[in-house]
Amino acid sequence: MRGRLSVPVPGLSAEPEVAPRVQSGERAELRRLMERLADGDRSAFRPAFALLWPQLRAFATRLVGGPDGEDAAQAALLRVFSRASEYDPGRDALSWALGIAAWECRTLRRKRERRREQTAGPLERLVAPGATPEEAVIERDLRLAAEEIAGTLRPLDLETLLAVASGARPASGATFRKRLERALARFRLAWRAKHGKE
Amino acid sequence: MERNDPTLTLETRARRSYELGRLRHALRLAPFVIVAAAAAVACGRPLLLAAALTCVLLPLCVGLSFTGGPAGRGVVPGLLAGAPALAMPLLIATVGHACFGEACLSLCLPACVVGGGIAGAVIAKLAVRQARDPRFLAAALAVAALTGALGCTISGAAGVLGMLAGVVAAGTPLLVAARR
Repeated sequence: MRGRLSVPVPGLSAEPEVAPRVQSGERAELRRLMERLADGDRSAFRPAFALLWPQLRAFATRLVGGPDGEDAAQAALLRVFSRASEYDPGRDALSWALGIAAWECRTLRRKRERRREQTAGPLERLVAPGATPEEAVIERDLRLAAEEIAGTLRPLDLETLLAVASGARPASGATFRKRLERALARFRLAWRAKHGKE
Repeated sequence: MERNDPTLTLETRARRSYELGRLRHALRLAPFVIVAAAAAVACGRPLLLAAALTCVLLPLCVGLSFTGGPAGRGVVPGLLAGAPALAMPLLIATVGHACFGEACLSLCLPACVVGGGIAGAVIAKLAVRQARDPRFLAAALAVAALTGALGCTISGAAGVLGMLAGVVAAGTPLLVAARR
């Protein structure tokens, strides 16, 4: 897939969106190239790289979004070539590669979440004075989920939502209201895509 | 492409990953070769001789498997085909048969020839499937001969020659028949 993707939504399965767009000729060609690579034919490396990299980048960007997607795509690409000798010619090469990419995306996301939990200060962990530990955990999880969704929004949408949250509304009310409605709609859409409910 | 092109850097890294992956894949054969050598030593083969044969067999298996292609595909069939030639004389030795002088000609040498015959038949059959590629055939024969030699040296040079004769005697008719 050569085109640019729309707004990335983490957690949304991207394989059904990416895979069908790949032409069957390219798919078959990739299969042949991976088969040759598995057999040790080095001349298949460059064309396989040229076919795989855009697919993996599109897939990972769709799944994780932004620079994280690029990182995950690179890790997935290296993993795919590292495991090329194990490739079973009976399997579809693209599905196999996307499976590896999905795993890399999940690993990267978990790493980021763990790091965020570790770096969160004691004040951030303390959600509300007097709240029960259960309430605190629920609120923290909700906040993390909202932050994750916000990270996938367009910069303008994010700016609008942050302006509302901080109480700094600009003067032109009607324009801002429309922008806010659109930002909230996109936020809800992304939330539903990830969590399935509001 | 420019030197600092990130795609080029990624391609280089991907290429390195591929080569390392192939090496890791090829090294999976090493335990089988080491176990074969250990079995030969455990059954009374001289340590130095077994070590010398392993020093040739191990890099050959790993190198061919790493390189890949028809020769790489011949490594595993070669190891499997050489296993009977390795096992038969060793099994005969472990059941109490002493391989000295004429006694050796009665049991150990025929065992080497039979083991070689099995190896030859297996390799010939698999070579037919690989369109009788000479690289496949050469790699499989070399690996099988070295694997079998780990056991067949029990009968000295005659054992190894007998095994090779068995390989040729069993393999050639199959290959000729397949060509017709």
